[in-house]
Amino acid sequence: MTASPALPARPDAAAPILAVRDLKAHFRTNHFGVKRYVKAVDGISFDVRRGEIYGLAGESSSGKTTLIKTIAGAIKPPLEVVGGTVDFAFLPGYGGLHRAPPAEVARIRWRHLSYIMQGSMNVLNPVRRLRATFADFARSHIDASDRQFEQAVVDHLARVKLDASVLTAYPHELSGGMRQRATIALATICRPDFIIADEPTTALDVVVQKDVLGMIRGIQREIGSSVLFVTHDMGVHAHLTDRLGIMYAGRLVEEAATAEIFRRPLHPYTRHLISSLPRIGDDIQRKGLEGSPPSLADPPPGCRFHPRCPLAMAACSERVPDMVETEPDHRVACFAVNGDQAP
Amino acid sequence: MSNALLEVSHATKVFSRGGLLSSRRIVAVNDVSFRIEAARPEIFTIIGESGSGKTTLSRMILNIEQPSAGSLVLDGTDLSTVRSNRDRLAFMHKVQPIFQNPFEAFNPLKQLDRYLFMTRQRFSAAVGQAALEAAVDEALRKVGLSLKEVRHRYPHEMSGGQLQRVAIARALLSSPKLIVADEPVSMVDASLRMSIVNLFRALRDDLGISIIYVTHDLATAYYISDRIMIMQNGRVVESGDARTVLNAPQHPYSQQLRAAVLLPEVTGGTAPANSPST
Repeated sequence: MTASPALPARPDAAAPILAVRDLKAHFRTNHFGVKRYVKAVDGISFDVRRGEIYGLAGESSSGKTTLIKTIAGAIKPPLEVVGGTVDFAFLPGYGGLHRAPPAEVARIRWRHLSYIMQGSMNVLNPVRRLRATFADFARSHIDASDRQFEQAVVDHLARVKLDASVLTAYPHELSGGMRQRATIALATICRPDFIIADEPTTALDVVVQKDVLGMIRGIQREIGSSVLFVTHDMGVHAHLTDRLGIMYAGRLVEEAATAEIFRRPLHPYTRHLISSLPRIGDDIQRKGLEGSPPSLADPPPGCRFHPRCPLAMAACSERVPDMVETEPDHRVACFAVNGDQAP
Repeated sequence: MSNALLEVSHATKVFSRGGLLSSRRIVAVNDVSFRIEAARPEIFTIIGESGSGKTTLSRMILNIEQPSAGSLVLDGTDLSTVRSNRDRLAFMHKVQPIFQNPFEAFNPLKQLDRYLFMTRQRFSAAVGQAALEAAVDEALRKVGLSLKEVRHRYPHEMSGGQLQRVAIARALLSSPKLIVADEPVSMVDASLRMSIVNLFRALRDDLGISIIYVTHDLATAYYISDRIMIMQNGRVVESGDARTVLNAPQHPYSQQLRAAVLLPEVTGGTAPANSPST
């Protein structure tokens, strides 16, 4: 084949809403003269397209929370952005929220970019009724009379199946599921272009979790937002996300459509991750992986998975494999899969 | 009837909250009965969501909480009679706990091998350093570690999976008959989780230890359990053989739980339906 068939014209693919390029965010500590670098995010590049739910999966300490903190501009020492850019379509020219002037950040925050966090208690002010919380967050972004604003909030709460009476309640008076639904309503009331969701259902019971995921999906479809959805739960990813990136030790190792990842994982780590999940109804023996995730303060050289990898070769401990698009929309960083492209 | 390892009959636990005038009674565990045979070691799983009383029940089995009504009998000893130090030591000999978060279970300022040596000394007459080390090493080897890897290490130097293995090794030092594991893998990384779960299986098969596995995760419960018991609001709604119950739950709540499990696979695609790969 001389040329690949022309891809169908896809304006959304041409202009991603979020483009992360070679992002590096390290924790730099200096205790008693002992300097330590923890490379929590080390050279990550990916796009989130308009109108999709992009999932990010990884174990604890794989750097996924640091990655979304950096994307959201929540950078406080000892965390530092060492290199790379984060470009939102609605915030062009700065290369990241952390570099934009505060006035710009205030303009886009909540209106264009909002968050759903794991602990709803941390988002909702415990000493204010929900009505006041909604006003605190969203009133300045919605141009309407007080009456219209209240009506908009009530209408929006109905989307997450909450009654208008919750507006008079304090957060502690609501159940965990109701609180999380209220935070989802809060995050979506301004119809933001982009929502960052960090383990939003992890603290919920399984029965409630399924409802809440359905609501996130429903609202996302309705208002056409893009979502960056972070969780370690592969079941949630299979259920909700459109595309999925797999992180291991601060780097992205594989990315593809979610169905593709589950059907045909290529990276040895992803393959293991998918095959180790027990399923109700089958009795196949599942294995854990030998070894343990590396310390990010002192990661192994080359591919960070190589000490645990069944396919490790000499090159793996010497050089870092690049993310290579093996097939349209399927990228993987592995010498054993892509072949060694080194000179 | 004397050969039950653990017999829980009509166990009930009521917590009272509030003051004199406005006290509220919360029935955390309501009339729960089950029995684990001594002759047949098994993995008995208690499933429930938050607030179902599964943790309170496991704390009663560990004799950390006393039941408000009903009784728990372990190996012929009623737990309510275990009060003196000697009785407690004998009790701990038979039952050992494993907790959810190994980083909280171990003191961060204490070296891990000290825990293991202390536990060993408590449960057997001191017989000298060499025998002590051999016993600790043996327990660690049962969980896939060795004393060399653990000696002089602090908890933060280990991964969650390794630390949970150390916790299991510590529990094994008293050669218990029953291990109560409360959400033992929910804090452990996905890539290590199955090795811990498989380890429980090995403890049952090779060492004849019964395990009470408390969890909300139906998939791992299905994977390792012999019998399961589903709890809701302190009551048992369904119990029985794990395969039977989870494949065809009868109670509406169990059916709801079963339906809420998110399968780790994408449905509706073009994947061949469960055909064995060639």
